[in-house]
Amino acid sequence: MSQASGNISYFRQKGDPYVLMTSLALLLTLGMVVLMFGIILFQGLGFFWPRDLQEITLKQGEIYLGEIWEEETVHFKNSQGRLISESEIQIKKGNRDLSGRDFIWFKKQDISDQKSPPLATAFERMEYGNFYGYITGLNLGDKFIEDSAGNLFQQSSKALEKAMANREKREDLENQLNQLLAPLAGLQREISLLEIDHSIEPEAQAKKIDQLRMELQNLERKIEPDYQKYSGLLQKVADENEQLFLLVQTAEGAEVHLPLEKVVRLYQPNRMNIFQKTGFYAGKLWEFIAADPRESNTEGGVFPAIFGTVMMVLLMSIAVVPVGVLAALYLNEYAHQGTIIRLIRLSVNNLAGVPSIVFGIFGLGFFIYIMGSSIDQLFFSNKLPEPTFGTGGILWASLTLALLTLPVVVVATEEGILAVPRANKEGALALGATRWQMIRKIVLPNAMPGILTGLILAISRGAGEVAPLMITGVVKLAPSLPIDASFPFLHLDRKFMHLGFHIYDVGFQSPNVEAAKPMVYTTALLLILIVIFLNLLAIYMRNRLRKKYKTAVF
Amino acid sequence: MVVNIQQAVSQKTAGFLTDEKIVIETLNLFFYYSSDSPALKDVNIIIPQKKVTAFIGPSGCGKSTLLRCFNRMNDLIPGTYHEGKVLIEGEDINKTGIRLERLRNKVGMVFQKSNPFPMSIWENVAFGPKVNGITDNTDLDEMVKSALIQADLWREVKERLDQSALDLSGGQQQRLCIARALANKPHIILMDEPASALDPISTGKIEETIDELKNQYTIVIVTHNMQQAARVSDYTAFMMTGEIIEFNDTRTLFTNPDKKLTEEYITGRFG
Repeated sequence: MSQASGNISYFRQKGDPYVLMTSLALLLTLGMVVLMFGIILFQGLGFFWPRDLQEITLKQGEIYLGEIWEEETVHFKNSQGRLISESEIQIKKGNRDLSGRDFIWFKKQDISDQKSPPLATAFERMEYGNFYGYITGLNLGDKFIEDSAGNLFQQSSKALEKAMANREKREDLENQLNQLLAPLAGLQREISLLEIDHSIEPEAQAKKIDQLRMELQNLERKIEPDYQKYSGLLQKVADENEQLFLLVQTAEGAEVHLPLEKVVRLYQPNRMNIFQKTGFYAGKLWEFIAADPRESNTEGGVFPAIFGTVMMVLLMSIAVVPVGVLAALYLNEYAHQGTIIRLIRLSVNNLAGVPSIVFGIFGLGFFIYIMGSSIDQLFFSNKLPEPTFGTGGILWASLTLALLTLPVVVVATEEGILAVPRANKEGALALGATRWQMIRKIVLPNAMPGILTGLILAISRGAGEVAPLMITGVVKLAPSLPIDASFPFLHLDRKFMHLGFHIYDVGFQSPNVEAAKPMVYTTALLLILIVIFLNLLAIYMRNRLRKKYKTAVF
Repeated sequence: MVVNIQQAVSQKTAGFLTDEKIVIETLNLFFYYSSDSPALKDVNIIIPQKKVTAFIGPSGCGKSTLLRCFNRMNDLIPGTYHEGKVLIEGEDINKTGIRLERLRNKVGMVFQKSNPFPMSIWENVAFGPKVNGITDNTDLDEMVKSALIQADLWREVKERLDQSALDLSGGQQQRLCIARALANKPHIILMDEPASALDPISTGKIEETIDELKNQYTIVIVTHNMQQAARVSDYTAFMMTGEIIEFNDTRTLFTNPDKKLTEEYITGRFG
């Protein structure tokens, strides 16, 4: 008896079940992370792989051509109470402009015939999503080739290249035209502003307006030849592209006229081998990283969002690190340690627990409405009532996030400062260093790993934050990047795109949620990779500094 | 300015110091860590120039506190205050308008635990001159070299001045700290148990260094080790519970102490 109870008590002392529980808890955490990352990785990376096109004939006689996206088995009880299982298939059949829907579900048992015809062609278009069908004719402007045997793919690809080159040419010409016409628009705006201005005398007003009109006419005359030249060229390119089109037969047999100018890419997945598919995959991946989005963000790339995210994180770091480090220095090195400092420290730490949307609202109210409008009134009054800084922009979003991540940086820096040996600080002071010299030469270098830890945490938090950004400057589609070739090159007032918001927007706000689903995974994967990359960069820097400033060991 | 010993001696009991010049002098010094009880009680002591003066006494007797009063390191501890005066070369170091940096430049300090900065050996020794405004690299090189020679470290490190000071051995690190203090060309060097964390051989080297330095510098050393005090110092003060019990030349204090407490301590009956 006593032996048994002794065993039990020893068992409890040793605490084996608790040790087991600790390991299980770790396993659970690890499992969840791996699961999440695995799903994102699988779904995100698989999206760009070209799927085979299936032509499916149903018993009812309908024919669909498209990609199989999902298979699902549903269980239900029929009227007799018997459990019945049925498999359903979702196929992406595209051709949204014809039928109005991209996807269709049907029961597997309804299929009467399924094949993957080698000549089935997929067309990625600028609008209305993918189109699936068979090329039956190609118009090259000077000649029309008809061939229903499907030998037109090579020629069509060549024609597509030409159409794409034309499209670029056209964009260039349009840009040049816009630049040419920009001064005209400015003058016109000035005139219309004058017309509604009642603060000056009518006579002077009329005189001034006449003068401006003269100027306008002169300018028009001056740019007339250039205008004619550019619009002529533009017309020529447009005419040429109008002549480049395909005749495509859908699975149902309808013949469709498909202008090549509207096509981004065409491919015949059923005829591609593994290398061609890999090449196609790489191309799509590159497009995803480097190109602008299309079709309300559900197609194309996310380059502006990558750019916006990284730039916002950098701006945030530039804003938060100096302020956070200086504040931590004051708290630890200068302030008299008492109740007030304890209260301040507590408040700073609690700032980290405030919901981020609150920071967003503060950013909107303080940065945008108060600071932004003041800046507008002081420096951009000629543009009013159009706001410059008085509306959301990358600067205000970055500052809002800087405020949000400030406690993280302060706390981590404080820890770094506390880790600096007292002996080193006293040694520096005993050598006649002033307090500031001591801080600069001893405290700051030694606290650098702590500061960088704070930066790492701030980056992780800042890059993933969406809610405060939505009201301080993130948009679904930004017309231009915050950095470009026009003066002053860095446009802090511009609205920007952000990967986190992109995920929300594409996944939940897009008109074609079903088609955009893989895009959500891919974007999430990219966001995670960017955060990891930024973190690795900071960790690398921290480790280098740690090696340099390892503290004395005996 | 060095105060003539005759003036001070007339008020004090330090008859044995008649031939010396004073550099440090305290007048009725009380020191409080908090308002309860003083850590130093009415301390009056005069430290002679270019000699080694040792403070001995049991733990917590206030010897380190007294030492740290001489370069105002106690200021760093919040809530402390003092009464009375500390004169260094005749100047009240606590009067307003004194520049702490200049004081500490003149009164160097070596700590119990060696505290080399996580920088190169050269950077460590040049730290003091640099923060005190010397920027010329050839000047700095010269100062670093002479300080390292004085601290008897030059031969060991001259090949690797750009390596981290943290790679040195414990004894070398402490001698580096001495060199660092010497680079400022101080008048006084305060040593707070400089060898207590070292092995006997390193301790011996430090003591040799102290012996060589005493011709040029006034050295005040706090030590736990009575043999060390007997070996290196010219004068010794025995302290207990914040008071100076006895101050005399070392030989007299150890062989023929005036007070019973001193005798009991040095014969090892307590402490």
